[in-house]
Amino acid sequence: MSLDSLLMWIQDLPLAAAVRGETAGSEWLFPIIETLHVLTLTVVFGSIVMVDLRLVGLTSRGSSISRLTDETLPWTWTSWVLSAITGTLLFMSKAVTYYGNFQFRMKFVFMALAAVNMLIFHFGAYRKVAQWDTAVPPTSARVAGALSIAFWVAVIFFGRWIGFTT
Amino acid sequence: MFRPFADWLATTQLSQLFQNQLWVVPTSQSIHIICVCLVFSSAIMINLRLLGVGVKGRSISQLSSSLVPWMWGGLCVLLLTGAVQTIAEPVRQFVTPAFWAKMGMIIVVVSMTAVFARKVRANAARWDAAGSRPASARAFAIGSSILWILIIVCGRFIGYTWAFYA
Repeated sequence: MSLDSLLMWIQDLPLAAAVRGETAGSEWLFPIIETLHVLTLTVVFGSIVMVDLRLVGLTSRGSSISRLTDETLPWTWTSWVLSAITGTLLFMSKAVTYYGNFQFRMKFVFMALAAVNMLIFHFGAYRKVAQWDTAVPPTSARVAGALSIAFWVAVIFFGRWIGFTT
Repeated sequence: MFRPFADWLATTQLSQLFQNQLWVVPTSQSIHIICVCLVFSSAIMINLRLLGVGVKGRSISQLSSSLVPWMWGGLCVLLLTGAVQTIAEPVRQFVTPAFWAKMGMIIVVVSMTAVFARKVRANAARWDAAGSRPASARAFAIGSSILWILIIVCGRFIGYTWAFYA
């Protein structure tokens, strides 16, 4: 099965038609799912940026970073999963259009960059967090925090732009 | 009643400028969403702490003094970008009840938050200990969380409902 026919197949699923509002009673499904997507992504971004700002040194200086991540990570992951589910439903409704959309692709490029950045931080500077937990983080950690903010801001910009270009 | 005003506003030079520069509205909306993330995440963190769910590592007064300034900063940018969007597309905003509901709830929740932050500043010790916290603290936490969620829902639904009223 080629990619094109796979995307067509996804788009032709009854669920995808319902998200498009084509079945009786589903007229408001797309707006509702999109609103849930916005609500959950606000918590994803907000909780990530709280940690990033602390890493960069703009907020909560002197407070424990590992405690902050312990407090925020469950919220980040839970809301990320909900964002991914609602995002998948939105994607299904117009799979061919979204796949071919430049802004949509860029959104995923920047999410991938954010993920790589997070992994490098997690297996790099963060392994020795005990040494700088309440102090000024090492340069690599501060760079990771700044890059994370930049990448996620790009994700939101491109995400919002999808709605204006599809 | 607001329709003639909206129609007039749409003809002003500034509105025309925003309408003709196609990047203005999407850019403003993207910045708007980023600030929604900061304000909403901050509010939710404070409210969860008030309810005794999570964020145990920091006291109410610590959370309030570090997060509330970010909320005020975020709200200023929200007001600014919201104004840009309203000037660019006045009819879209003024005709739908979703816009007016959102504005009404913002006034209520901002007043509530200002009173809360003031009280915490005035008597940190009383607010930090769960036992001596005023009974209204729980009501504030639940009430303001619901209001913030409804504000986001109404904000998103301006875009989905205005065409019915225009």
